[in-house]
Amino acid sequence: MRLTVDREDYLIAGLAALAIVIHIAESALPTPLPGAKPGLANVITVAALLLYGWRAAIWVSLLRVLVGSILIGSFLTPTFVLSLSGAIAAMTAIGLGYLLSARSLGPVGYSLLGAMAHMAGQFYAAYLLFIPHPALFRLLPVLMTLAVGFGLLSGLIVNAMMPRLQAYVARERAPGG
Amino acid sequence: MHNVCLTLLRRAIAPLAAALLIALPYGCARAPEQVYKTQFFTLGTVVDVSLWGVDNQRAADAVKTVENVLNEVHRRWHAWEPSELTRINAGLAAGQAVTISEDESQVLQQAKSLAEQSEELFNPAIGKLIGLWGFHSSDVPKGPPPPQADIDRLLAAQASMADLTIDATTIRSRNPAVEIDLGAVAKGYGVDLAIDALRKMGIRNAIVNAGGGLHAIGKHGNRPWRIGIREPTHASGIIASVNLRDDEAVHTSGNYERFYDYQGRRYHHIIDPRSGYPSSTAISATVIHRDGALADAAATAIMIAGPQKWTEVARRMGVSQVMMIGADKKVYMTPAMAQRIHFEISPAPEVVTSEPL
Amino acid sequence: MRRADYIVLIFALVLLPVLYGTYWTRSAPGQAVRIIDATGEETIVPLTQDRHLEIKGPLGVSVIEIHDGAVRFVSSPCSGKLCVHAGWLRNGNDFTACLPNRVSIAVVGGTEGYDSINF
Repeated sequence: MRLTVDREDYLIAGLAALAIVIHIAESALPTPLPGAKPGLANVITVAALLLYGWRAAIWVSLLRVLVGSILIGSFLTPTFVLSLSGAIAAMTAIGLGYLLSARSLGPVGYSLLGAMAHMAGQFYAAYLLFIPHPALFRLLPVLMTLAVGFGLLSGLIVNAMMPRLQAYVARERAPGG
Repeated sequence: MHNVCLTLLRRAIAPLAAALLIALPYGCARAPEQVYKTQFFTLGTVVDVSLWGVDNQRAADAVKTVENVLNEVHRRWHAWEPSELTRINAGLAAGQAVTISEDESQVLQQAKSLAEQSEELFNPAIGKLIGLWGFHSSDVPKGPPPPQADIDRLLAAQASMADLTIDATTIRSRNPAVEIDLGAVAKGYGVDLAIDALRKMGIRNAIVNAGGGLHAIGKHGNRPWRIGIREPTHASGIIASVNLRDDEAVHTSGNYERFYDYQGRRYHHIIDPRSGYPSSTAISATVIHRDGALADAAATAIMIAGPQKWTEVARRMGVSQVMMIGADKKVYMTPAMAQRIHFEISPAPEVVTSEPL
Repeated sequence: MRRADYIVLIFALVLLPVLYGTYWTRSAPGQAVRIIDATGEETIVPLTQDRHLEIKGPLGVSVIEIHDGAVRFVSSPCSGKLCVHAGWLRNGNDFTACLPNRVSIAVVGGTEGYDSINF
């Protein structure tokens, strides 16, 4: 396989870097379940999906979780496992949404799906792997509320930025651009 | 129309798929708690059965088994409703040699031996005295307390299990005043039988609680069974908690279980065989032991013995995990008990720890 | 926003009350704390007596303190110390955990903590 680095790779790398910054920043946010994250970085994943397709979205997600955790120093810790579970769940939900909804979903829909699946993935991983404590379920409504809130917020942000982002991408792709 | 439906359906699939992912934790929510708990009424009291790690069908069978065992104990040993015991008592009062089964013989011999070990403080032969105080009825007695002359008459008769000769098939009494009442040991005995029956069914983790006296085997999943010990004068009703090990019975005798008030005085059902009156030196006694019948009888004897004599009685009966709440509100405990009891009231009561037994 | 987005949003908004209805219980001061460690072993300890407990996990010892009817993590060998920052837990179902050391604590209320009552 021949690896060629093209313009799009740089742009994806740039998006990934942005996602990583958000990932690191949101690790400072307190959540009821230590180690779980609201999933703001999903903004970038959704943007990548809508601008560059689902392969790009997956790359951005994986890079975000891996590099982000290395930079924070949480690589291979429980927090990393939660982030990874959340990211995989989010990608699955977003991917399913993409494939099954005949492209009728917009940024808000993807963001909500991604955020809720992200939180569910983290919760499920925490319960199965770390804390098999029935009282954990009391946190689920709160965590899901955070997820829906942040999901809606990031979706609306992407929505608002979409025209400009699309214009930017179009310019980049134009021959001679 | 067709196209709109299809499109709507396709648009709904994504949220539905997400719903599946999100619903997964919800689905496994019911898994962790597998305690099957049920209650029913028999032996004149409420019976509580807890089972862990048993599916619903097996649990239902187990509860039925417990019910049958306890109903059988009720049928045989009821102190005043027509039963094998009332038949035996009638025969003994008439001076006859009464035929009994081997099981019955074993139960009666054990009762006799426990009475002797307790220095006759646990005295199941004083049925007439208990009846005199009005406690041979399901209703709460109304008083007044019996005349002193009647009490003296029965005391003088000195009914005791030692008056009985018991062999494998017959029982005979040399004292017509003897009337056997196994109330102080029946729960312990019945619950032990029920637990044996559950073990035979292959059940490893269970609690059978008949009217407060209980026997537990196994654990609650990953942790020991946790028992609360009641003490009605406190707001929460629970004075202490204890974690049980596999195969342990807990029995408490208290002056608050059956009683009546008359003209400002309280009369309860634990009669001191020496005075003919309800005991007065302790509020309750709790005993933990593998043998529930022993724990039940010991709890009665120790409560009657009170702060002066309780260690002596406990030692003779072979129980080492004892907690007694004295009439002075102090809590008397053996060191073995002090190690496992956690007080649930604040501030914790004054504790007097005895020497090791 | 497109119609499909609204469908997702409505679904999300319907899901939330369902979750609250199922898992959210009313808060009242609790009687005991239920501690689960890395091996899955559970202990239930009353909150009535002040006490220090040391729970061993894969990273080391988490120290839990019971004082004045409440419980908290005093120290834990994790790097984030989020468990310690959760502070005092007092009401039924209050919960926090040290994920790296696999120790979780939840307040248990009323007669929930007892399997059976002896009297």
